Amino acid sequence: MSDKLVAAQVRHYPPGDLAVWILIMAELLVFALFFAAYGFTRMGHVALFNQYQATLDRTAAVANTLALITASYFVVRAVAAIREGNSRHSARWLWAGVGMGVLFLFIKGGEYAEHLSHGINLSTNTFYMFYLSLTFFHFMHVIVGVIVLVILAVKVGQGRYSAAEHADVESGASYWHMVDLVWLILFPLVYVMH
Amino acid sequence: MQYKSQAVAKLYFIAAIGLFVGQILFGVILGLQYVIGDFLFPEIPFNVARMVHTNLLIVWLLFGFMGAAYYLVPEEAERELVSPGLAVLMFWVFLIAGALTILGYLLVPYSGLAQMTGNDLLPTMGREFLEQPTITKIGIVVVALAFLYNIGMTILSGRKTVVNLVLLIGLVGLAVFFLFSFYNPDNLVKDKYYWWWVVHLWVEGVWELILGSILAFVLIKTTGVDREVIEKWLYVIIAMTLITGIIGTGHHYYWIGTPDYWQWWGSVFSAMEPIPFFMMTVFAFNMVNRRRRNHPNKAAVLWALGTAVMAFLGAGVWGFLHTLAPVNYYTHGTQITAAHGHMAFYGAYVMIVLTMISYAMPMLRGRKAASSNRSQVLEMWSFWLMTVSMVFITLFLTGAGILQTYLQRYSDTPLPFMVVQEKIELFYWMREVAGVVFLIGLLVYIASFFVGTKEPEVVLEQTDA
Amino acid sequence: MSQAFTKAMARNIFYGGSVFFFLLFLALTFDSEATFPERDNRQNITESVAMGKRLWEENNCIGCHTLLGEGAYFAPELGNAYKRLGGREGIMAFIMSRPKDGVPGRRSMPQFNFTQEELEALADFLKYVSEINTADWPPNIQG
Repeated sequence: MSDKLVAAQVRHYPPGDLAVWILIMAELLVFALFFAAYGFTRMGHVALFNQYQATLDRTAAVANTLALITASYFVVRAVAAIREGNSRHSARWLWAGVGMGVLFLFIKGGEYAEHLSHGINLSTNTFYMFYLSLTFFHFMHVIVGVIVLVILAVKVGQGRYSAAEHADVESGASYWHMVDLVWLILFPLVYVMH
Repeated sequence: MQYKSQAVAKLYFIAAIGLFVGQILFGVILGLQYVIGDFLFPEIPFNVARMVHTNLLIVWLLFGFMGAAYYLVPEEAERELVSPGLAVLMFWVFLIAGALTILGYLLVPYSGLAQMTGNDLLPTMGREFLEQPTITKIGIVVVALAFLYNIGMTILSGRKTVVNLVLLIGLVGLAVFFLFSFYNPDNLVKDKYYWWWVVHLWVEGVWELILGSILAFVLIKTTGVDREVIEKWLYVIIAMTLITGIIGTGHHYYWIGTPDYWQWWGSVFSAMEPIPFFMMTVFAFNMVNRRRRNHPNKAAVLWALGTAVMAFLGAGVWGFLHTLAPVNYYTHGTQITAAHGHMAFYGAYVMIVLTMISYAMPMLRGRKAASSNRSQVLEMWSFWLMTVSMVFITLFLTGAGILQTYLQRYSDTPLPFMVVQEKIELFYWMREVAGVVFLIGLLVYIASFFVGTKEPEVVLEQTDA
Repeated sequence: MSQAFTKAMARNIFYGGSVFFFLLFLALTFDSEATFPERDNRQNITESVAMGKRLWEENNCIGCHTLLGEGAYFAPELGNAYKRLGGREGIMAFIMSRPKDGVPGRRSMPQFNFTQEELEALADFLKYVSEINTADWPPNIQG
């Protein structure tokens, strides 16, 4: 670790913009409330939740988990690169992150198409209501995350950030990690837990 | 006052205060009808008095918002209004249309008014808060468009500050969502669903942008805190407002024939609606504590802080009380709702308009920055009289609501509505007393404009850091 | 050390957040519209029901009553009036029975002098409302 890198980390902690952290806290609170509501409701309908949980495509969800974790790894590398002032590498890692995010959207979109073809919607039953609400709300966050990464990748590629000035990259990365983190709770909660 | 055209705000503020008095008079009448059921019956039945009470509130708040906009937009944009003449013309159009509508409510039976104004052609009347004849609604749209043109052109051709842009977004949103008042299908569920797009997306959406920008403007002016700081907090607060408030509309979609999932979506998001109000309170006190000068208009600062606190209590806390679906199942449409409505409207919107009037009126009346000490003292008395009595109105209605909820909805042997109403009469009497105190507070407020007018204004030395 | 907090980022979050949540709201509205036919009792909206709704509006009934819990809180809830008052006949009889000059010292509904056709339309409207799926609200017959 170079001295410059350490200095950059000390200058901004937590990394990125405070406004983004306020947003992240609010979003985590929304998800936490939704997760709590899920757990609470599940207690009253364990059999129903277990029955319909079995209809979900767990393989797709595992693939998506890997996609998001990989994307987060790429984003970490992108931030590390820009902290070294290496815009070219940083942009490349960001585009790789975008790729993984898009992969997630494709796989999840496939799952939704499958549900739709079976006529499943928010009003089908309580389990699907929660499953669709939670995953779709998260799905929209992934879309936003991908858009953010694309914007950052373009701007980094244009060399608009440097080792000294890259708070936007850190902000975007923080947001992306939040989206990833939420999925890491959502996946076991909704797809796996019996 | 830096720009001549700001002067049009004075007309709007005077009209606002005048209509405010009317609103409160009818509020006192309504309170009495709650305990003396045949008071003024059949001349002014309850529904007519209530319509006057709520419609006057909306109209005077709109006058207040427009006045605030006409005052602050030129100062922020650093240029004169595009057309002060249009502003004056629209003032009279709006005032006359409003007065005719209120007179129509009072002098003609409502069904007769519907017939006279051709409600059959495009039926929009007879829905809560949207009782205005269709022709009046069209008039409101015309006035709003002329107003937006005037304000919008001034903003876009001048200095574009965050305060101005947020205000403009709020005002455009106000006009856009009002258009849903023209949608009135026979299907009651759809009618109610989109009715909330006017009512909720106004008061828990775009109006809060207007509130935020006015508050930010007054804080910039009275505290001398760096504009950058205030503006970025304004953005964060209104972002939180819309993030929680838009889906928060769902807390109205529990029991009106809408899908069950709204109980979850509405509960989760509206549970977070107090957050932006809390942030606003912390923000306002922080800015005042970090002030770089003591503004001689102490009354205006008091109103600004009062807005932040009372909006949090009324909209945030009292809203949260009954916003979760399992609670709302029992409290929906009881006096709890009335309690919340009173404190939220007073705390958020009445007080922000009075804040702006308090800040701007001395300048509009030719002073440098503030009224005389005597006038300010009286104004601050009226602040406390009105605010404390509103707290009591809210507490008494909450008491009534809790009892009503229990007796009518929750107990093992639920009682009929009218039986319950008689049992909780004591609370209505106490509310009426508090209401009369509020009216006295309002009269004191008006008196504050007429005392000490010849005395010199308050001057405080600058304490620039 | 001081935290970065820029107006540009705050602005981005305001615009982005507003658009995001409004789109989400539209998506939920789209789904709600698709669900309405199963809940809103639209198959029973006859001409008489539509006329009843117009009468409901043009006499400002919402100025005293609540309907599905929304309105004024001065007079009883009417979403379940069809059940509470004993059907169409009960509703019509109640509306007709109101004294012209009220009841001394008490709240009383005005006498609207409706024709038979209008009374039936109002009763039909309240019957239609009572059959909307309101997730079991109100909690009991007292409304």
